[in-house]
Amino acid sequence: VTAVLYVEDVLLVDRCLTGEPAATRELFRRHRGRVHACLFRVLGGNRDMDDLLQEAFLQVFRSLRSWRAEASLATWIDRVAVRCAYRHLSQRQRRIATDPLEDHDAGALTAPDAGPGARRQLARDGVVRLYAVLDELSPAARLAFTLHELDGRSVAETAELVGSSVAATKLRVWRARKRVEAAAAADPVLREFVASHDREVP
Amino acid sequence: VRLAGRIPVEPLDEERLTQIERRVVAGAVDAAVRGQQLRAPGRLLAPLIAAAAIAAAAAVGWAIRGAPEDPQVAAPAPAAVPELRVQTAPQRSVVDIGDARIESDPDTAFAVTRPRGGVLVAVARGKVELEVGKRGDRPPLVVRAGDTDVVVVGTRFSVDYGDGSGDVDVRVTEGVVRVVHLQQETRVAAGQAWRTRTGLIAMAGGPRAAGAALSGAGGPTTPGADSPAARAPDRAPGGDAGREPGHEPTHAPTWGTDAPGMLHDRRAAVPDAPAPPAPPPPRPAAPAHPAGHEPPHPRPAGHDDPRLDLGAAIRAQHIEPALDLGEPSPAGAITRYYDIAAHRSGDEASQAFYSIAWVRYFRQDNPADALQALDAYVRRFPGGKQYRAALWLRVRIQCLERFDAACHAAAYTYLHEAPDAPAAHVAELLTQAE
Repeated sequence: VTAVLYVEDVLLVDRCLTGEPAATRELFRRHRGRVHACLFRVLGGNRDMDDLLQEAFLQVFRSLRSWRAEASLATWIDRVAVRCAYRHLSQRQRRIATDPLEDHDAGALTAPDAGPGARRQLARDGVVRLYAVLDELSPAARLAFTLHELDGRSVAETAELVGSSVAATKLRVWRARKRVEAAAAADPVLREFVASHDREVP
Repeated sequence: VRLAGRIPVEPLDEERLTQIERRVVAGAVDAAVRGQQLRAPGRLLAPLIAAAAIAAAAAVGWAIRGAPEDPQVAAPAPAAVPELRVQTAPQRSVVDIGDARIESDPDTAFAVTRPRGGVLVAVARGKVELEVGKRGDRPPLVVRAGDTDVVVVGTRFSVDYGDGSGDVDVRVTEGVVRVVHLQQETRVAAGQAWRTRTGLIAMAGGPRAAGAALSGAGGPTTPGADSPAARAPDRAPGGDAGREPGHEPTHAPTWGTDAPGMLHDRRAAVPDAPAPPAPPPPRPAAPAHPAGHEPPHPRPAGHDDPRLDLGAAIRAQHIEPALDLGEPSPAGAITRYYDIAAHRSGDEASQAFYSIAWVRYFRQDNPADALQALDAYVRRFPGGKQYRAALWLRVRIQCLERFDAACHAAAYTYLHEAPDAPAAHVAELLTQAE
């Protein structure tokens, strides 16, 4: 965070606290992309995404007065969004309504001579199957795994976002990874998706 | 498993984003307004009003139900008959009721009753000044002005009820009184004042100045120029507020025919001529601008306290200087302050924030941005090294612009956070400046 950005954030927050709509709009536009990506990676594509994004930002603005400018504004907003995602995961007794699994021919998709279309289909199916596995994890484990493995955050940052210790976060990530690897061993599409990390995704 | 960056994020289309943004902005503005209301000084008013409404509803219910059927419950005592009614004409009047000496301004109306051994002075309009002897074990003397009671056990003070429909202004010269308003009690000591709208405040010049504003031993005076009576725009001398048509005001108090004998030997002295006005106290000398820069804002006009030039008083207060970086251009200095604020901590960072505000105001003539930086300072560094200086600079910016709600709020905050600071006295005056 550059010095100017930091100070501008502080000033922007103060404008928001006065109820200035232009400032509120500006803050939303600055951070909406990152928050949406974070929620999407944690929860997967689902029909509640609009409501979740809205709820996360409403929560941000309700709590804005408590931001003490000790963490960067982006990190603080991410923390609020993660808390929102955690609440969503905890409240839902059933699985998250991800897109339904389609019964594609796993052999055709994973064949070495599969074309670009098949590979794109493999990526889509792999994502869906991955989130089906993640649905079986506890909310805390899912958050730790998705923030670290899918959103690319460090373990320390993940621990800060979820409010856990680094050791506990590491353990949750490790257990979730084992669970995904076990599922991938039994599912050729998921296995191929996970193993193709170094391939270029079209 | 290495999946970072592998999950493509499905973008939201513009229409959905616009809808979300609209709802978020509406919710955020609502939350901000509610937050400000919660933090406003008058936030306690709502429960008090609710309590008053409940009490009023109970009273109405009682009246509708009529007398209680239970014979054990005593009927309410009949209203006390006024023993003394006073309506003054253009002159001031002085009434000695034994328990107290009551001076009243021109066009003042009040009545004295003695319920249950105490003394109740009910003011209908105008201003009374009382000198009350020690009451010992006797019930207290109460001055009632509208819904405000001033409870006295022995002191000198004044109660100004203006035209009988607005604010009450209580000023204490000696001793202590208790002001009861909307079931809330405030102790007002010598040198302090209490007003309906502002609550407890200190008087300019302390008890001595307050004493000059009252007559008493110093002789009668005209009402203070900032009193509600003087402020009431529709209150002409000899105004008829609360006066019955065709009933000319009496120069001498009117004794009630049913007044008990103990009051019949009291005398009401009415001056033959209007009281001479008190000499105005000297104004403080206009000081030089401490920062060497005259603020670009006009002096406030219209404050009604002739005893003090508030604009000059504001400028007279010390302003903490900005961090000196030897940077000649304001923009360059601000860039460097930004850098310090972001990368340092503690006093250095707080001083940088304060310096941003200082440069914005004094060197860039940008009070709006200066106020933003000061608000940021106050939130970010409560108790910081320049905390009081930041609060005072905020007072200075707000109150040199105009005496409005923002000025009052800034002055209140400063007074609350720095009650012992040299500028606290000026802040007190600013809380009541209009």
